[in-house]
Amino acid sequence: MSVTLEQLFDKVQKPARYTGGELNSVVKDKSKVNVRFAFCFPDLYEVGMSHLGMKILYGLKNAVEDFWCERVFAPDTDMEALMREHHVPLFALESRDPIREFDFVGFTLQYEMCYTTILNMLDLAGIPLLSSERGENMPLVVAGGPCAYNPEPLADFFDLFIIGEGEEVNLELMELYREHKKRGYSKAAFLREAAQIEGVYVPSLYDVTYHEDGTIASITPQNGVPATVRKRIIRDMDTAYYPESFVVPFIDIVHDRAMTEIFRGCIRGCRFCQAGFIYRPVREKSVDTIDRQSRCLCETSGYEEFSLSSLSTSDYTHLEELLKRLLSWAEKEHTNITVPSLRVDGFSEELANRLNVLRRSGLTFAPEAGTQRLRDAINKNLTEDEILGTAAKAFAGGWTSVKLYFMMGLPTETMEDIVGINELGQKIVNCFYRNPDKPKGKGVSVSVSVSCFVPKPFTPFQWEPQDTIEQLREKQKVLRESVTTKKISLSWHDAETSYLEAILARGDRRIGKALLEAFRRGFNLDAWSEHFKFDEWMDIFREVGLDPDFYACRRRAEDEIFPWDHLDIGVTKAFLLAENRKAHESATTPNCRQECSHCGATRFKGGICVERR
Amino acid sequence: MNDVKDFRTVRVTFRKRGRARYISHLDLNRTMTRAVRRAGLPIWYTEGFNRHPYLTFASPLSLGFEGERETMDIRLEQEMDLDELATRLNAVMPEGLEVIGAAWAVKKAGEVDRATYRVEIACPADTVRALLEKDEILVQKRTKKKDYKTVDLKPALAVSNPTVTETENGCVLEFTLPCSSAETVNPSLVMTALEKVDEKAPLVYTVRRLAVLDKDGEIFG
Repeated sequence: MSVTLEQLFDKVQKPARYTGGELNSVVKDKSKVNVRFAFCFPDLYEVGMSHLGMKILYGLKNAVEDFWCERVFAPDTDMEALMREHHVPLFALESRDPIREFDFVGFTLQYEMCYTTILNMLDLAGIPLLSSERGENMPLVVAGGPCAYNPEPLADFFDLFIIGEGEEVNLELMELYREHKKRGYSKAAFLREAAQIEGVYVPSLYDVTYHEDGTIASITPQNGVPATVRKRIIRDMDTAYYPESFVVPFIDIVHDRAMTEIFRGCIRGCRFCQAGFIYRPVREKSVDTIDRQSRCLCETSGYEEFSLSSLSTSDYTHLEELLKRLLSWAEKEHTNITVPSLRVDGFSEELANRLNVLRRSGLTFAPEAGTQRLRDAINKNLTEDEILGTAAKAFAGGWTSVKLYFMMGLPTETMEDIVGINELGQKIVNCFYRNPDKPKGKGVSVSVSVSCFVPKPFTPFQWEPQDTIEQLREKQKVLRESVTTKKISLSWHDAETSYLEAILARGDRRIGKALLEAFRRGFNLDAWSEHFKFDEWMDIFREVGLDPDFYACRRRAEDEIFPWDHLDIGVTKAFLLAENRKAHESATTPNCRQECSHCGATRFKGGICVERR
Repeated sequence: MNDVKDFRTVRVTFRKRGRARYISHLDLNRTMTRAVRRAGLPIWYTEGFNRHPYLTFASPLSLGFEGERETMDIRLEQEMDLDELATRLNAVMPEGLEVIGAAWAVKKAGEVDRATYRVEIACPADTVRALLEKDEILVQKRTKKKDYKTVDLKPALAVSNPTVTETENGCVLEFTLPCSSAETVNPSLVMTALEKVDEKAPLVYTVRRLAVLDKDGEIFG
């Protein structure tokens, strides 16, 4: 290497993204380490360092004496250009060693739009992109995270995927590797044996055939390989590993605070939400555990703020008790608690004030749909009365702005539902002016943010077509024209990004060709709108002979074999189909705490499925 | 209740070296705030809407520079032994930041006047000497309004007694430059001027601020 890393750091924006050396980062003596793992987050440092899953798995692996897990992020364009110019391969932050010298290179798949970044990172590391082209001297390239529930678009690139929660299976995998290394490692033999670990999916050991119409005819495991791969879960959250310290970054990152997970899963079962199904069943931590872990993290990091993390904070069984316990020390130590996705209704005013709930996040609601009928169809249980009641309370307390989150393009949606978005906004405006004590000289501002619905695997809507870009644009136009007051401001997500997300989310193995071509054309950091080139993406699909509408905008037959059907999340396909039918009748399903709907997750014998309701 | 102004200011002296030189001034503030919290010091928090520990730095150090004697002022809410304070703080520092002392602050931050620097440069000593001997040393300096103006470094360098020493990999230049609220000359400007003398290759150098001085040339701290 003719140039030192320091010389590159001196030339780039925010060099502390690349230097390592942050407090609580783990540096080991590599001569005493048997298995090295490069944990790669396919996005910039600021995004990746905010991710809780990485913090958990980083601590977990490093707690084993002879394992060393290091962090790797996508370099920004200025750093990447310098690295390529000076032939500096992608390195890990702790040791600054090239990651192609590691045993494992593991990616977390948080969103579809990061796929091109993964390929670019592998290339920058000097690692062949295709699994079939990587020999014994190359690291095993593995992945986990929510997008691993349909890993098929990435099947050509990865040696194996981890399905489900990683705490146990990551260690099992690394232990198996250590054993193989001791007795002479061969990639093929290792993958064969790894495929026997529950939750490990080795795509090269499954053959896929297609019907003439492009749908899947069969997914066949090779000899001795399990026919289905069931996800892993951690049954008891109180005894599960949780880190005692977080790496504390120097630069400002997206979520720069301590975080304590309070439960996994969600009782709700909103039909559009993948997280609501793949993380079942709901498993809570006890108040004691959360209190102990939060305190410990604040002490070891010095963070002035921590947040409680879950899919729906308000559904935590002992929320008031928990918050009082946490506040009892946090207030004394000038430590703030942030409570995301908190429903303010039914929450004591005293506690809301102590938490500064409104000052921090403002008043936000996620009705997701504009009419009660459509909210029933998507099983989102939030009523207009609840929204207006809470808004009235907040307005009485002097608040003047409300944020609302919606989706458009939901199954069964009509223009009535679209106009309903504005009507709900208007009712909130009216509610403000009905308040006799409203602050003088101040207006109300209701900001409405509308994203485009993307059908996801393992949800009741996995059979549904996405609206075409034209349909979405038409709906946006109708919504825009329905708003007649400046007190409501509209913003939306770009339909083109959502369309690509929909293609990748339910894609099959053939999508790999398109990803490879996108990489060849230099695509990278697609999740950042300034880098996203939609028209070129469409060219690519044409060039490799794939019809994007086949993936995004096609209604699937009820008995169609999906690319992810050999993966098992516990929740049955029959249950998801029944939920889909109920959606078309606008019929709701009670949440897991009200009664069991027999989704199939009881097979894990954990959490709410075995507790008394 | 005690009047806050009665609490005396503690001046913490620290080194900033190695990887820590890539911590920007803004990030250093956050890093130190967290260190002070980890150390469990009885630090005074500002009053008001957004309470935070009171913490100031007499003279910001540019991103990428090392510092041999940097200072940070904090205020305590209770009396405490300053050696213990320094020890406790040092125990929780990230790599590259090292506390070397703590004392009751005597001088005011406004008394900072100039600073001495040691620059290791990968170029022959004669190239540097040639630059220093010029009658005027003109460089483009970025102004706060984001345009450029031409400044002459010669007057500042002339009074700074620069010394140039040959080393194995090039040379070491030591000098003193103004560093007050009225006038500041960043040593990187000198490097910019040097790059124009010898345009063959991009200049490789590292800057270390040795000390911050007051008007009388005494070390601030």
